[in-house]
Amino acid sequence: MKTVKAGPYLTAAGLFALMAAAPFVIKPYHLNMLTEIIIFALYAVSYNLLLGYAGLLSFGHAMFFGMGAFSVAVGLIHIPGLGLGEVILLALAVATLTGLAAGLLLLRHKGSYFALLTLAFNALFYAVATKWHEITGGDDGLSITRPDLNLGFTSLPMASLENFYYFTLVVVGLIILFCWYFTKTAMGQSVLMMRENEERMKFLGYNTNVNRLILFTFTGALAGVAGAFYTLHFQFCSQSAISIDMTTTVLLMTFVGGTGTFMGPVLGAFVFIILQNYLSDITDRWPLFMGLIFIFMVLFVPGGLSQLAGKIKDLVVGKKEGAAALSAQGGNHE
Amino acid sequence: MSEYLKIDDIHKDFSGLKVLTGINLTIAQRERHAVIGPNGAGKTTLFNIISGKFRPSRGAILFKGTDISRKPPHVLNRHGLSRSFQITNIFQDLSVFDNVLSGVRSKYGLKYHFFRRPDRDRRIVEEVRALVEEVGLKEVMHLPASALSYGQQRALEIAIALSTSPELILLDEPTAGMTREETAQCIRMIDRVIADRTLLIIEHDMDVVFSLADRISVLHYGTIIATGRPEEIRNDQRVKDAYLGEG
Ligand SMILES: Nc1ncnc2c1ncn2[C@@H]1O[C@H](COP(=O)(O)OP(=O)(O)OP(=O)(O)O)[C@@H](O)[C@H]1O
Ligand SMILES: [Mg+2]
Repeated sequence: MKTVKAGPYLTAAGLFALMAAAPFVIKPYHLNMLTEIIIFALYAVSYNLLLGYAGLLSFGHAMFFGMGAFSVAVGLIHIPGLGLGEVILLALAVATLTGLAAGLLLLRHKGSYFALLTLAFNALFYAVATKWHEITGGDDGLSITRPDLNLGFTSLPMASLENFYYFTLVVVGLIILFCWYFTKTAMGQSVLMMRENEERMKFLGYNTNVNRLILFTFTGALAGVAGAFYTLHFQFCSQSAISIDMTTTVLLMTFVGGTGTFMGPVLGAFVFIILQNYLSDITDRWPLFMGLIFIFMVLFVPGGLSQLAGKIKDLVVGKKEGAAALSAQGGNHE
Repeated sequence: MSEYLKIDDIHKDFSGLKVLTGINLTIAQRERHAVIGPNGAGKTTLFNIISGKFRPSRGAILFKGTDISRKPPHVLNRHGLSRSFQITNIFQDLSVFDNVLSGVRSKYGLKYHFFRRPDRDRRIVEEVRALVEEVGLKEVMHLPASALSYGQQRALEIAIALSTSPELILLDEPTAGMTREETAQCIRMIDRVIADRTLLIIEHDMDVVFSLADRISVLHYGTIIATGRPEEIRNDQRVKDAYLGEG
């Protein structure tokens, strides 16, 4: 039981190696898409920690994503000489504080009240972003140039698509890996218990309000980092980063991928971004098709793509190995 | 300490419905005290008040001299008080191991930690295993709780209550719904695991009550109509009338 299982780490290392090879194999257009996928994978993973792991339905996740995104744009425009690392830390700090403040205000409400209040909050943030033209650029948005990465002895130019891709892969990839590890830690397991039986937890010495606030703040911070990378990636930030659409996006990714496993939302982000890119090339009505796909998934594959993949794997490889290594969301403590 | 737990004039109304009307009871340390009484007498409500689930409408609960009657359950647990539930209240989708782990790690303060894995802590893991074995669930340790038989779930319910190593334990009808053999086995287990802790137990099965308890209180329509040693209770006329029926 105490031997560290190598499986998940090997899977992660393999995935990293594969993705590190990508710039040598795929076209810049696709590399751009892959960068976007990594960023949205973090956004979706952070959302699933709330929805899948804690059982908290929020319609306000874009406020954290958007706060991260705007922090980068506003920071780079108004603070001269701000470095790449610093601006990401700034976004992290702002998103964390937003998460804490929103959590303190919203978490005393439960269930659908909570969900509706997060929606209202998100709408408020969106309204501010639209109206506060001097800071947020309003409808025009804010354009920025990615600062280079200062490594002390040398500086890595971030104008290069490959360099930014690698930077994203390493930083965001490691954060996603930490999120997976987090699900095994004391706090991560407490989150699962909260979904399972919050009342019993209280009688075992857990302050579930504190528990929920910490988780809410943490997932807000993660979404903020995703938002920061979003602005850095597009070198542009508009109020769409903080819109209800951006909440819907993460909701769709998470549902399509499946809330039941850790990797589900990653898969969801992958499929969503690819579909969105191809569908929007073919037709202007792509949101309609995305909506239809979503309805189909919810009706016929409620466990999402990851569940579907698991079932296919079970059929092909047999039950035992089909229990995917990274999908350990229950009490897999061996 | 003779006034280890003092229940002082506890009242509880639920929007007009007077469920408890002045409960007074003092329990000594290491005492095993049973609460009996007909359905709806208010036994579970009393436990809910002692364990912090409800606040009393009036009165106080002194635990080792401090009034705990308005403290939330998680604080009371840290004071050394734990309870089980009449209706099985476990973590259905978690394994038996993780169910018990939840309390053991809480005791060691490993609740909100972002980096440490409780299942990598040798001391905690050993303690969980010992407790799982003690309640007879070793064979099903890694099964989800939902896969257990009813009797096994009841044993798990008790194990969870014990998992924070409380000094005062409240068991609400631990053997409810068990077969005769399961009950006998469960009582031996409770007798063993309680050791020298203080026990407050609600129980309908008179064999259980008379074999386990040092003292018994009879709750009837929200008040205690008798408290005493098992033989006194057995021969108490009011108790016979109110509860034991044929006697
Ligand atoms: N939360 C509540 N709200 C309203 N009434 C309640 C509540 N909890 C209990 N009651 C009422 O209080 C009375 C006592 O209930 P309680 O559960 O304490 O009885 P009990 O002695 O444990 O009975 P049993 O032997 O059936 O478990 C019942 O009439 C019940 O309906
Ligand atoms: Mg009861």
